[in-house]
Amino acid sequence: MIDRGEHAGTLTAARPGVSPLIAVENLWHTYMAGTPFEHQALRGISLNIYPGEAVGVIGQTGSGKSTLIQYFNGLMRPIRGRVLVAGHDLGRPDVDLAAVRRIVGLVFQEPETQVFERLVGDDIAYGPRQLRLPFLEIRERVRWAMETVGLPFDAFKDRYTFTLSGGELRKAALAGVLALRPRVLVVDEPTSGLDPGAREELRGRIRDLRTREGMTLVLVSHDMEEVARLSDRLYILHDGAVVATGTPREVFVDGARLAELGLAPPEATQVVQRLRARGYHVRGDALTVEEAEQALAPLLSEGP
Amino acid sequence: MNEFELLRNITIGQYLPTGSYLHRLDPRAKIIAAVLLTAAVSFTPSILGNASLLIACSAVVVLGRIPFSYALRGLIPAVPLLLILALLQLLFFGRNYDPTSPVIFHWGWIVVTAAVARLVVISAARFVELLLVTSVFTLSTRTTELTHGIERLLRPFRRLRVPSHELALVVTIALRFIPTIALEAERLLKAQASRGGTIRGRRGNFVAATRRLLPVLVPLFTFALRRGEELIVAMEARAYMGGEGRTTYAILPGRPLDWLAPVAALAFLVAMLFVRFPF
Repeated sequence: MIDRGEHAGTLTAARPGVSPLIAVENLWHTYMAGTPFEHQALRGISLNIYPGEAVGVIGQTGSGKSTLIQYFNGLMRPIRGRVLVAGHDLGRPDVDLAAVRRIVGLVFQEPETQVFERLVGDDIAYGPRQLRLPFLEIRERVRWAMETVGLPFDAFKDRYTFTLSGGELRKAALAGVLALRPRVLVVDEPTSGLDPGAREELRGRIRDLRTREGMTLVLVSHDMEEVARLSDRLYILHDGAVVATGTPREVFVDGARLAELGLAPPEATQVVQRLRARGYHVRGDALTVEEAEQALAPLLSEGP
Repeated sequence: MNEFELLRNITIGQYLPTGSYLHRLDPRAKIIAAVLLTAAVSFTPSILGNASLLIACSAVVVLGRIPFSYALRGLIPAVPLLLILALLQLLFFGRNYDPTSPVIFHWGWIVVTAAVARLVVISAARFVELLLVTSVFTLSTRTTELTHGIERLLRPFRRLRVPSHELALVVTIALRFIPTIALEAERLLKAQASRGGTIRGRRGNFVAATRRLLPVLVPLFTFALRRGEELIVAMEARAYMGGEGRTTYAILPGRPLDWLAPVAALAFLVAMLFVRFPF
């Protein structure tokens, strides 16, 4: 299994007795290897994702987030380093990639662009059909996936995909991955480009997946409040390496360090941190608007 | 290990700035030189001639300061096709192709004559030569330079109602879109694989194989059409009106030294046409 001694305490939260669902060990990745456009995207990444947890991955554009998550479901396979997904070693030539992709469902950025069938139901059924499941089982999975993302099965299954709104189409694409019933869901910028209402709803749906279905969640996002709300633990990537890890509260407390990495805490956190810096007695660890509200209310009741 | 990295093996349509003589060459001169070299490749039917062509093409690669491994990378996807072609020629041409040629290999119904063996070697050499010429040309020419070059070369034919500017624009856009479409195809292949799709793998007849491609082809066409539409809007927003009365920011240099390249290429072509190679 994983050699925890090397990374314990610094990079990965060691949990005695629980083995990680996804374990990445000293992973390196080079794009366009062997051409003049060669580019190092990952430089020795090590991290663990444990069953049932929600892990946020944040970092500047180009820090290697999107590359890293492609290793989680075997779209990329390690040349240097090791990736283990539920015991499957991705470096072995005989690894069962189809099994890995059934365990880890990866939802790309703007997944609505990958929809190709005319009918919503058919598009969501694409994955289960590839698995050659019996008809009723496919139907059940499509129904479950659609209801889970908030598209009522009977109302939407026979709609033409091009008649759906942007938010609905994104939900349909998410349902297309959920229909494979993965144990881990990896989502890349799930709410970018949606209106605030649709954004809030989709976040709720993703949270439900974890609380109700017990799914393990990996979330990549530039929206820091979203990351803070949805994840138990964060990894910060910078220039292809893990530079910090911890709970959102631990990570977002150090505003100066985040700024060095091209990031910033959620806006609510910034407000309370700035007020503290100006000498106000407020708790500086609020992460969400609600927490900031609670932190600031006592201050306001004292009057001007 | 990355089964999806399509762009890695596509060298056409990429630009590799090395600042060499070829990069600084006037695009008109470069286009003419490339056309002449291509003609030389097409008109050389001998092994020695192709050997000298390979040397000449390699010299061009060196002149462009382009790494050989990269210039030849475009060959990788074509290798299976080339092997099949060579095999077909060896197996089935037999005595039909130049019956007077001596037989050098005979086993059962398989007959290989010297002429066929020569043909196999020459077609492979030609492919490599053409690939080197086109790779070096695109790797050393910016698309804007290419457009200006084509446009200026076609300008004399405007009296014959040849739409030189529009043709140049079409070529530019087509070339520019190759890497864009390749990247999008790669993204879609990955996305569909994540949904349990298998594009490769299980065998099937032609129709089944095409159906397996639909999950990638449909969104890819949508993407291409959308990109095209965005391009139109962007051009209209910049008040694009076509070639009439349009001036350019970059003035083509056209220094005397630039014309050395096409003259050298022409000399080479003439030499290839008139020298009698022993084999």
